[in-house]
Amino acid sequence: MSYGDKVEIRNLNIWFGDKHVINGLDLKIKANSVTAIMGPSGCGKSTLLRALNRMNDVIKSSRTTGDVFIGGKNIYENGTNVYDLRRQVGMVFQKPNPLPKSIYENIAFGPKIHKIAKGKALDKIVEKSLRAAALWDEVNDRLGDSAFDLSGGQQQRLCIARALAVDPEIILMDEPCSALDPAATAKIEQLIRILSTDYTVVIVTHNMQQASRVSDHTVFLYLGDIIEQGDTKSIFENPKHELTEQYITGEFG
Amino acid sequence: MGSQTKERIFFFALGVPVVICLLAFFWIAATLFTGVGTLNMEFLTTSALQGGAFEMIVGTIYLFLGAAAIAGPIGVFAAIYLVEYAPHGKITRIIDQAINNLAGVPSIIIGLFGYTLFSRQLGFGISLMAGWLTLALMILPIVIRGSEEAIRIVPQSFKQAALALGATKWKSISLTTLIAAAPGIVTSVILGIARVAGETAAILFTSCVIITRGLPSSPLEPVMALSFNMYVQIVARGAPPESVFGMALILFFIVVIFSLVAIILRVYYRKKQPWLH
Repeated sequence: MSYGDKVEIRNLNIWFGDKHVINGLDLKIKANSVTAIMGPSGCGKSTLLRALNRMNDVIKSSRTTGDVFIGGKNIYENGTNVYDLRRQVGMVFQKPNPLPKSIYENIAFGPKIHKIAKGKALDKIVEKSLRAAALWDEVNDRLGDSAFDLSGGQQQRLCIARALAVDPEIILMDEPCSALDPAATAKIEQLIRILSTDYTVVIVTHNMQQASRVSDHTVFLYLGDIIEQGDTKSIFENPKHELTEQYITGEFG
Repeated sequence: MGSQTKERIFFFALGVPVVICLLAFFWIAATLFTGVGTLNMEFLTTSALQGGAFEMIVGTIYLFLGAAAIAGPIGVFAAIYLVEYAPHGKITRIIDQAINNLAGVPSIIIGLFGYTLFSRQLGFGISLMAGWLTLALMILPIVIRGSEEAIRIVPQSFKQAALALGATKWKSISLTTLIAAAPGIVTSVILGIARVAGETAAILFTSCVIITRGLPSSPLEPVMALSFNMYVQIVARGAPPESVFGMALILFFIVVIFSLVAIILRVYYRKKQPWLH
């Protein structure tokens, strides 16, 4: 593993039942950068993303082979503690999914279950996380309100803050803006750029403009295979593979 | 036939059963309310030894609260297991069907079963405990079905969020799913209580006696109950039906109050659960 790689995937295969969704992928993801995984619907983007925090394990019919090294440690090795792994690798979902609790309790949930902090120290984590997700100024006077009182964009930033509260190293985002309006989307995209200074961000999107706006590196996935990967700029300006070019120019998608 | 005529016929056809239900309801209500005359604070608070109904009212409440305390936790854990953990296979389907069947067993048979198992074989005799366990069998399918439903309508996204933060499966269920499902679970327990508050056959052999000296002092003593007492008054003592309308009315109010609480809780929490809309 070369210096600066946070994640290294080797020969990753994933099946759902008989369906082979990811076909022996190799991929390296650089630390403190934004990597976008793009591709048409059903190409395996989300499955690849969920392989990084082993959320595919939750689906009974799934089967995974291959290695995923995070910080040099193979997370598919026997004896891996998936609960610690998911603390280290946070996730933000397609649709904002606040818990049926107050704004404060949403953020405090992770630190509480991992027994990271309580009392004043927990208050500090909540504030820090909300500030890091650019939400503090909008909610600091109503932390006790239900998280469902927030707008969709605010809810999604709350979910980002919730992921940050357990101090992860990697943040996975599964089409985080697909349920949001353009103004809310712009805020999240801005936030993603800021987060990449402290975290390694991997974002799945089928919105090419979004991939080009927020990411440093882009991976183009098609039917479970990586067709092309590299600097976002060079992929968009100078795609080497015909499929990539067709996808970027909107011939299919 | 014009569509307007058809419309009128259907309207009429659907209206008739509604009117019949309303008539029946008012008839029952009117009959019961003839018992109002016999009701007063004295009747409610005087011991049965002096012709009051105190021990019967408290006994009835003891019976269904104890039964709910037994059936509630068991039913909720069964529901969690069936929804979240049980493999989707033949055995689960058999268990599901068994729960449905349990709900359909006539209460006299449940009572007989309770008498045989709890009163005789387990040695609880004619006691509160035997009644609690027997009534719990009747509440159980209502609690399981209601709790399953309440757990199923909680969005998967809550559990996903908790899992993605590193929660174990049990923590994600107990800290998110169950909290969101709590109002529905409580409602199902209350509906279970409403179902058995007036139950007679199930407590006939297992826990009731005609008269006691004061309230039972331990779960192994028998109790008096409103429903059982009405039965005894009319069948054993040959009293005229009107003489028990007061007691019937009390029982009616207890059941109505519990059902109302269930409905109010449900409406109140619906409003506080935006994910249901």
